[in-house]
Amino acid sequence: MDDSDEALMARVARGDEQAFRTLAGRHVPAMLGVARRILGNAADAEDVAQEAMLRVWTNAPRWQPLAQFRTWLTRVVVNLCLDRKRRAPWVALEAAGDIVDPSLGPGDKAESDERERLVKAAIAELPARQRAAITLSYGDGMSNAQVAEILGTSVSAVETLLIRGKQNMRRALDSVIDKDA
Amino acid sequence: MNKDDFLDAALKRHIKAPPPDDVAVERVLKRLAGPLPRQKPPLWRLPNVLLDWQFAPAWPRVAALACCAALGFVIGITGLDRRIDTADAGFTVASSGDLGSLVFEPEALTGASP
Repeated sequence: MDDSDEALMARVARGDEQAFRTLAGRHVPAMLGVARRILGNAADAEDVAQEAMLRVWTNAPRWQPLAQFRTWLTRVVVNLCLDRKRRAPWVALEAAGDIVDPSLGPGDKAESDERERLVKAAIAELPARQRAAITLSYGDGMSNAQVAEILGTSVSAVETLLIRGKQNMRRALDSVIDKDA
Repeated sequence: MNKDDFLDAALKRHIKAPPPDDVAVERVLKRLAGPLPRQKPPLWRLPNVLLDWQFAPAWPRVAALACCAALGFVIGITGLDRRIDTADAGFTVASSGDLGSLVFEPEALTGASP
């Protein structure tokens, strides 16, 4: 039996719950990752992933296979994340520990930790759309065209988002970069 | 390392896709395992629904409505507050003289004419 995403969606459109659960099991892990990196919050990311999959179910009869299912689903997730960030200000999640490099001495390690913390904070401070573009481009390795399709914008607009995002980060990390570069 | 390389490396390190959190995935899938909401009907079926005129079952209701309208018309014509055989007796017509006195008569107290 054809179990491609598109074939499963055709079955979901006919009300096949088993096909829906197969589709959910296949895509929820990746969608959770995307949502978590855009929102910076695990609990919100779970809500968004659940909401996105429920939209897949309810809208399945109206879905047209104009784009890849994965692209469409990522777009739903990104839009839900942007809506959520628009509604509530982002609260930095500082609970996650930094990666410890065993080769560094205590002083170097403290400096490295501080640098990593600043980078994390700079990423967290980025505007939602710049953060989404950077997440999809750097995190998931998508092409600018794919990112543009997901964000519902043009390739040049995505390039602008990426450039502005990096400019904002460079401004925030000026002292760190100067020390490191 | 130049500034752009540093930024690219930092972004790749921090934004890279994390390993899937199995517990969180399990939680979401469990939430989705419950009863699912109703699906939206496909859009291309909407015109058919709108064009699917079914008058047959409505005829009794249309007949009842027509009867109510006819009854309302008869009651409205005759009036419920007077008998049918005296329906014409209640009309009074103001004469032109009466109307003139109502309109042009000067006010009794001030003498002012309208």
